[in-house]
Amino acid sequence: MKETEATKNAAAQRLCESTPSELASCAQSSGCPITRLLKGSTAVVALMVFLALNYYIAGKSKDNANNYKLDKSWVGWAVNDFIKSPDRKNVVFLGSSLMLVPLSGNDANYLNKKLDGSKHHHSQYFEDQLKSRTGYSASAYTFALPGEMPSDAYMVTNFLLKDEKQPDVIVYGVGPRDFMDNLLPSPSATDPFRVLSQLGSIDDHASLFLPDWQARLDYELGKVFYFYKDREKITDKLAKLANTGINDVLPAPKGAKPFSIFDRRQLLPAYRPAELEEGEAFFRPETAEDKKRGIFDNLAEYRKRYKELKWDTFLTQMQFFASFLDVAKQRGIHVVVMAMPITDVNRSLLSDRAWGAYMNSVKALAKAKGASYVDLHNSGAFQVTDFMDTVHLSPDGGKKMLDCLVETIRLDSTTLSYLNKGNVEIDTKSLAQRKGNSL
Amino acid sequence: MLFTSLQYLVFLPTVFLLYWICPHRLRVPLLLVASYVFYMSWRPIYGLLIAGLTLGNFLLVPLITKATTEKGKKWVVGLIVAANLITLGIFKYATFTITCLKDSLDLVGVAWREPHLHILLPLGISFFVFEFIHYAVEVYRGKPLVKSLIDFSLFASFFPTQIAGPIKRYMDFIPQLSIPAKFKWEYVDQGMNLILMGLFKKLILGDNLALAVEAGFAHPANFGSVDLWLIAYAYAFQIFFDFSGYTDIARGSALLFGYKVPINFNLPYISANVSDFWHRWHISLSTWLRDYLYIPMGGSKCSQWKSYRNLFVTMALGGLWHGAAMHFLIWGAFHGILLVLHKEYQKLCEALGVAKNLVNSKVYHWVSVVVTFHLVVIGWVFFRAEDMNIAGQMLSKMMMAPVDLLHFTASQLNILQIRDPIIFPALLIILPILMISQVVIDWMNDKRFYQSPPWALQVCVMVALMCVLTVFSPDTSPKFIYFQF
Repeated sequence: MKETEATKNAAAQRLCESTPSELASCAQSSGCPITRLLKGSTAVVALMVFLALNYYIAGKSKDNANNYKLDKSWVGWAVNDFIKSPDRKNVVFLGSSLMLVPLSGNDANYLNKKLDGSKHHHSQYFEDQLKSRTGYSASAYTFALPGEMPSDAYMVTNFLLKDEKQPDVIVYGVGPRDFMDNLLPSPSATDPFRVLSQLGSIDDHASLFLPDWQARLDYELGKVFYFYKDREKITDKLAKLANTGINDVLPAPKGAKPFSIFDRRQLLPAYRPAELEEGEAFFRPETAEDKKRGIFDNLAEYRKRYKELKWDTFLTQMQFFASFLDVAKQRGIHVVVMAMPITDVNRSLLSDRAWGAYMNSVKALAKAKGASYVDLHNSGAFQVTDFMDTVHLSPDGGKKMLDCLVETIRLDSTTLSYLNKGNVEIDTKSLAQRKGNSL
Repeated sequence: MLFTSLQYLVFLPTVFLLYWICPHRLRVPLLLVASYVFYMSWRPIYGLLIAGLTLGNFLLVPLITKATTEKGKKWVVGLIVAANLITLGIFKYATFTITCLKDSLDLVGVAWREPHLHILLPLGISFFVFEFIHYAVEVYRGKPLVKSLIDFSLFASFFPTQIAGPIKRYMDFIPQLSIPAKFKWEYVDQGMNLILMGLFKKLILGDNLALAVEAGFAHPANFGSVDLWLIAYAYAFQIFFDFSGYTDIARGSALLFGYKVPINFNLPYISANVSDFWHRWHISLSTWLRDYLYIPMGGSKCSQWKSYRNLFVTMALGGLWHGAAMHFLIWGAFHGILLVLHKEYQKLCEALGVAKNLVNSKVYHWVSVVVTFHLVVIGWVFFRAEDMNIAGQMLSKMMMAPVDLLHFTASQLNILQIRDPIIFPALLIILPILMISQVVIDWMNDKRFYQSPPWALQVCVMVALMCVLTVFSPDTSPKFIYFQF
């Protein structure tokens, strides 16, 4: 009731001193307008102090510009390992889970041990096969990440595959989803984007990455406000401090089972869904039981992803694909583009028009930019039994894929010349042995 | 458009600048256009709903004054109220009614394939429908009509209060529109302060508490009895910060244009009884329910039995107003029962002649505050639970807390084992601070230092809030809880 009376009086209270124009003219007669403003409004002063504070701290923190916040996720682990690795890699694999699953799954089979997804970032089978069939001892690194789009592949290439870390060859396995995933609102909505966009400037492709005005404003605000741009880093540091404090004051009960990210995901599935802890995601050697299980039906998910092709998404991702090829070409990295196989039943979810647009564009761009193009989908080498679901190859399918790839490299003088140029060690003995045998 | 979105960050300053640049005669139309832009940014078609209801009420309510007999007036006002309630019912309760009907028929063994209605609840409908009903009833009671359609339209659609209140009274709001107000920096300072404080409550306090609450209410089996009490406390504060944060942003936004809208909260968790709680919680709704439901049913000016019935029905319907689900109805009914019991308890105390000194003592007061808080928290379990099954699981486990506390050790607390998000173990520190802060604010409320703090302190607080909000605001914030009502 008190408030109601106050509201009744509000009308009377609304009569006041001056409009902004009156304020300005009044200020001329009564001294400096800034002084008057400062005296007049705490909000304006607070805003000015806030801006000054952002500017001051941004200047102070320039020294730490390379101090990325790489979180525990597929992309975080991959980037972290790549940056920390002292050696230059000769071959880098790019792609989505279409590449990751067969590469690592096959390695688990090949090495006959379970592999930690957060740590295993190379392909032993590929390295060994390449050596035995061509004689080249090349090191490989897998930057294939769940959900990776050409926009992410472009960022990986542009920000990381350069200078002393520049590979000789990039093998990029693509699928139709990479270009036409309707569940993706924009290229900035992927998990890799969140991490990769910290590694360099996206200004030259900002309108493609951030087609929505709100996402663009969000990005531009980050440039103006230090606290906004670096909020993840600041939050991370403060969270560590808070954790230490809480652990001191309220330690976990002795003998309690540690609460893992896996446990947390059961309780809070939406909280940091992309987070991956060491020892929480494994590629295991395939058992006879796994093989008996047959393929998993994930068509419902792909129906949603392919529902009504969004040409904007398709064209944007094709532009990123072209930019990726351009960056690689400029740096003297040879690209091998692999059109990954998918099952016919998954292919049938796409209209002929969409499928044709995807296949023809990928092939045409690869050829135009001087990349090698391998059409695994139409190679006839893959059967339904090579898949674990309607799009992902099984470990055995992955082995077949790598065999095809190595064979392509063996026959592709351009790719071999790039490996040669990169001073890849050639095992002449094994090469001589191999030459005597037919493949 | 959400108050916490970047859209609003652009929208509000734009409307603010245009408003103060415009001459007075254009300001109300400008705010009206802005309010419709605000509303239609969600789903344009529903702009027609609010426009239609506004026009309908504006044209029909004058018929009340034109009716010559009291009976005629009653009929007209009854029809207008019914029309508003039917609209609300169609959008909000049709599916619920069909589900209840189907469940009842199932019980008696009648198979019925119910129709599937794809009705999307228009945002804020519960709030603006209540404002229309208030207008019609007040005109019936002899208050003046609103002459201007534009003023009336703005009353119903005013964007700061459009989605989740506070529920305005037209006699308070409409006169403010006709005053040719001049710009004051005070509006900006007070408005910004309220907006920043509201955002802090919602994004920093409410949204973080929401993590623990979400886990607890989704998986009560994973937590012990004491954990569940802590999670229920956390929800009590989450809903308070969520809704009072919204109200602060609404009031702050309105203040930027020089308008005052009613307060909705007054430190509800230091209430000494349930009746007191309803004078401090969602004040604009509880006063609405009192004026347009409880009193018209007879209020307390009837037999004891009828007055208790009125109280119970008012609260049960108030519960149902929050959402078309059984657990909301139960929550309302629970509060209805508590209010009735409180009245009986008061009578019993008087009849037994319990020492007045005891009742008036500070110890008794604070024990009452603690008891009331816990009763309210039990009510919140019904309110938050997805269904009665979850509520039952939670409450049955929570009731075991006294037994568990007898041989309590820290290892019984599951929240201590969850180290990420840190909010879980931090509940043990945060919850007492939040409770004590209500007591401290209550103590400071009448202190001059608190009412008008020094200039430098005001600036420091605002800068601190800006920094904290910029750094800690989540990328995606859950919608305000009251948006669903």
